[in-house]
Amino acid sequence: MTMKSAGGTLAIWTTGLLTFLVFAVLYIPVLISMLFSLVEIRQGKILWETLSFNPYVTLWSNASVVDALSNTAVVAIVSVIIASLLAVILALYTQWEGAMGRRMLEITIYLPFLLPPIVTGLALLVASAEIGLKRGLATVIAGHTIFVLAVAYRLVLTRLQALPPSLVEASFDLGASRWQTLRHVLMPHLASAIMTGAVLALTLSFDETLISTFVAGDQMTLPLRLWAMMRVGFTPEINALVTVVLLISIFLAIVVAWRMKPKGEVEED
Amino acid sequence: MSSRTTRWLIFFAVAAIPFVFIVIPIASFMLLSLFRAGKGAIIRNISLDNYVNFFANWTYAGTYLGTLLLCLQVMVVSVLVGYPIAWFIWQQRGSRRYLLLLLAVVPLFMSYIVKLYTLRSMLGLNGLVNQMLLAVGAIDKPSQIFLFNQRAVLITMVVIYLPFVILPIFLALERIPKSLLHASIDLGAGAWDTFRRIVLPLSLPGTIGGALFAFVLALGDFITPQMVGGTTGFTIGRVIYSQFGLAYDWPFGAAMAAILLVTSLAGIILAGLAVSRQRI
Repeated sequence: MTMKSAGGTLAIWTTGLLTFLVFAVLYIPVLISMLFSLVEIRQGKILWETLSFNPYVTLWSNASVVDALSNTAVVAIVSVIIASLLAVILALYTQWEGAMGRRMLEITIYLPFLLPPIVTGLALLVASAEIGLKRGLATVIAGHTIFVLAVAYRLVLTRLQALPPSLVEASFDLGASRWQTLRHVLMPHLASAIMTGAVLALTLSFDETLISTFVAGDQMTLPLRLWAMMRVGFTPEINALVTVVLLISIFLAIVVAWRMKPKGEVEED
Repeated sequence: MSSRTTRWLIFFAVAAIPFVFIVIPIASFMLLSLFRAGKGAIIRNISLDNYVNFFANWTYAGTYLGTLLLCLQVMVVSVLVGYPIAWFIWQQRGSRRYLLLLLAVVPLFMSYIVKLYTLRSMLGLNGLVNQMLLAVGAIDKPSQIFLFNQRAVLITMVVIYLPFVILPIFLALERIPKSLLHASIDLGAGAWDTFRRIVLPLSLPGTIGGALFAFVLALGDFITPQMVGGTTGFTIGRVIYSQFGLAYDWPFGAAMAAILLVTSLAGIILAGLAVSRQRI
C-alpha cells in the first residue's frame, strides 16, 4: 500500500513539475514582451528609469496600425454575425426530420475547420481569381465566416440536441405556428449557445492569420500587420502592439471561460 | 407542389451558402492543380503533369517527406508532454483545477503571430534562453543554434500547438466515470494498473484527437517555418506559399496543396478509425 501511494505521489510531483515548466515556457515569453513595451532590458536587468508609455502613443498615431485594427474589427463582427445566423439555420435544418444530405452537409461545414488553413485560404484565393473578384475585406470576411462556422454550428447543435423534443411538441399542441415555436420556444434556449459561439468565433477571427494571408490582397488585418512589422525587427512599438493584441485575446478568453463555466463543462469540438 | 419537391427546395436553399463558399472553392483549386502555368496565363489542358513533377523532383518530394516527419515529431512530442499535464490537471480538485485548466486554455486564445513573435525573441541571439545560459556559464557567447533551423521549428510548433493537445486529453479524462476508478481500486488494482487498464484506454480517443490537431495544424503551417526556420527549416507549406508569391506557379502550388489536403484527410480518417475501433 505504501509502495502504491509512493508511486502515486511521485507521479503527481513529476507531472506537476512538468506542468509548471511548460506553463513557464508558455507564459514567460509573453510576459517579457509585455514588459519590453514599457521598459528597456539590458543584460538581464530591467532599467526602470526607461519606463515610458511612448510606444503606445506612437502606435496610436501609426495610421497603418489603426487601419489594421479597424479592418480586423469589421471582419470579425461581420463574419461572426453571418456565421452565427448560418449556424442557427443549418443546425435547425440538420435537426429537422425532413432534412436531406445531413451527413454531407455536416462534413462540408466542418471541412474548413479541420483542413489546414493554407488549403482553405488557397481554395478561396483560386475561386475568387476564377470569377475575377478582387481580393480585399470581402474575401477575408468570406474566409473567416466559413472558418468560424464550424464552431458556431457545433455549439448551437449541441444545445439543440440537449433540448427535450417534448418542448417543441407541446408548443405545437398548444397551437403555436412553426415561426412562433422558433421565436418563443427554441430561440430563448439557443440564445446563450449562440452568444458563446459568437465570442469564440470572435477570438478565432481576431487571431486568424493563415487564411487571411491568401485572401487579404492589399488590405491588412492586425495579425498581418504584425507579421509585416516582425520581419523588420524588434522595436518597442511592436512590443506595444503585441501587448495590446494579447490583452484583447486574454480578455476574450476570460469571457469565454466565464460563459462556459456555469455548466461545469467545456463544450467539445 | 409535392412534399418531395418542397424538401429538395429547402435543401438547396440551406445548402447553397456552404456549397458556394466551401465546396466550389475546394473543387476549383483541385481543378486548377490539373492545369499548367504558361507564360503569363494558365494553360487549361487537363493533365497530371504537376503531380508527376512533384514526385519526380526530389527537392519537392523530399521536402514533403521532411515535413511529414517534422509534423509527426511535433505530434509525438506534444502528446508526450501534453498527456502528463492533462493528467495532472485532472488529478487536481476544486478551484485549483479550474485555474490550471484556464492557464492551459488561455494560450489557445493568444494570437498565433504574437506567440511566434515572443518565442522568436526568446530563442534569438539576445533572447532569454541565451541570457540564461550565459548567466549560468554554460556558454561563453550568445549562440545562434536555437534559431533558424529545423529544431527551432520543432520547438516553436510544439509550444504553439501543445494547448490544442492538452484540452482534448483533459476532456477525455474528465468523461471517465468515477465509479470505474473506484471499482478498479476496490477490486485490488493498484494506481498503475488502474491507469494502464482503465484511464489510458478510455482517454485514448481524446488523445488521438489532440494528436491529430497537432499534426494537421503543423502540416499546413507556413509562417512558423518562415519566421524561425531560416534556410534549413523548409516545409511544404512554405513551398506552396512561395508558388503564390514569388514563384507564381499557381497550378503547381494548387497541386501541392491538394497533396497536403489528401494527407490531412488521410490523417483525419485514420484517427477516426482508431477512435471508432476503440469504442467497440
